[in-house]
Amino acid sequence: MQKNFLTLICFLTSVVGLILIYIAAINIKPVEIKISQVNSELIGRSVSIQGIITQKNLHSEGHVFLMISDDESDIQVPIFSSLMNDLKKENITESDFKINEAISVTGLIDEYRGQLQILPRKTSDIKIGD
Amino acid sequence: MIEILDLILFSLLGVLVGIGMGLLPGMHINNVIPLILSFSLFFTSSYQLVVFIISVAITDIFIGYIPSIFLGAPEEKTSLSVLPGHRLLLEGRGYEAIKLTIMGGVGSLLISLIIIALLANTFSYLYEISRPYVQYLITGVVIFMLVSERKLRKILPAMLIIFLSGIFGVIVLGSTIVKPQNVLFPVLSGMFGLSTIIISMNERSSIPEQKKDSELKITKWQLLKSCLLGSVAGIIVGFLPAIGVSQAATMVQYVGGMGESRSFLVTLSGINLSNEAFSLISLFLVNNPRSGASVAIQRILTQLTFYDVILLVGVICFVSGIAAFLAMFLGKRIPNFLAKLNYKYLSISVISFVLIMIFLLTGFYGLLIAFTSTSIGLFCAFLEVRRSHCMGVLLIPSILFFSGLNGIVLSILGI
Repeated sequence: MQKNFLTLICFLTSVVGLILIYIAAINIKPVEIKISQVNSELIGRSVSIQGIITQKNLHSEGHVFLMISDDESDIQVPIFSSLMNDLKKENITESDFKINEAISVTGLIDEYRGQLQILPRKTSDIKIGD
Repeated sequence: MIEILDLILFSLLGVLVGIGMGLLPGMHINNVIPLILSFSLFFTSSYQLVVFIISVAITDIFIGYIPSIFLGAPEEKTSLSVLPGHRLLLEGRGYEAIKLTIMGGVGSLLISLIIIALLANTFSYLYEISRPYVQYLITGVVIFMLVSERKLRKILPAMLIIFLSGIFGVIVLGSTIVKPQNVLFPVLSGMFGLSTIIISMNERSSIPEQKKDSELKITKWQLLKSCLLGSVAGIIVGFLPAIGVSQAATMVQYVGGMGESRSFLVTLSGINLSNEAFSLISLFLVNNPRSGASVAIQRILTQLTFYDVILLVGVICFVSGIAAFLAMFLGKRIPNFLAKLNYKYLSISVISFVLIMIFLLTGFYGLLIAFTSTSIGLFCAFLEVRRSHCMGVLLIPSILFFSGLNGIVLSILGI
């Protein structure tokens, strides 16, 4: 009886915890910052940046690497092939990423080989022409 | 040119910290890596930090068997369901259990280093060709874990645990409420650390009298076979993302007939050590970190050279030798000390320490994650199914990631 009660309590606390974490997760919005404000202290944080596409490199495996710049600074935005595939389902292909086109990107700040970058994870993280 | 004395000094410092971590129940290298990295300013070169992390990780594995064998053993009436280490402890063979883990660790480490050296050039190729099928391999492991529970009344609760921890993993790893580099700390500490300590607080408080002879009741052939299995399984675990030591140990139990306590302990320790060694070397072989320590090292060194790998292997071997000796020494003496210790106070101290660390590194949301993960860990224990099912927290998100469904799921969840 006592064990069944404890099992039930643990199940309920797991579910309540999950619900609270989910509520927090969907309500915490990424911070909008300027590209020049991106620094290593923000690694792992979700941010939104706006700028124009100044460089575009295509990888043989389908990844697209963009360089996004604003008046003061620039940052690399890798769009991996899995996300490109999802974007294609929404009729966005690599040719839609045009040089000098305005773009806003939401993603996690990460460091790769000493360079900071922003990693978008889902299609809604990328808005072209805004 | 790296100062050799510096490296030895930081290795020994790492061994000291590793002993402390290994002896504290519920502590793991992944729990303290964020803390170690936050002290990185005190290290004058990146190699000092790397050597320190490896030394802590390796020593923790060797020493960690002492509290896991000598603490938290259940009463005899439930001894049919006890872990192999506890089974030997209840027979008065706890010291033999420690020696078996040491032999398994050292033996498998040496065998796995030979295997890695022989197959070094093929890992990159294997990694490339297996990548499109990784999600199927992980799914296969999940199915195997479920089926290995054998009875439907166990399979159904196991499914519930995998499902619950899977959803938990998708939400927690997909959101940014806690920095991704720290999020596993509250997740794993709760599921495997805090929940285990809470359960064991209600278990046996005294240790049966122990025999301290040097006899090992295992044949040379069994020992060699177990070490070999441990090496191969450890490398496979290191190669496949999200698959952990516990899943490999479960599979080896069936595949290799490792049901016997002594062989199982040798293999388990072998998987642990060879997995850690491969995870570190894989930074060079496939440029992909496979453990908490290797993630940290990749961040510190960025790009590993061949000579960095030689250094890593050298440190692993050097520290393994020292840690094995220390585990043998402490394994004989610590049990008397542990028997005198108030286990409840020790457990409460460790729980408090872990919670304070979680709060300092991940804040309020980290505590919420730890609360939920501890509840899932306890739920799993009360359902009496294997704790390794909680690894759904990594397995399910990995299946989604490698199937390319991660973005879609996150969009649906609105995270």
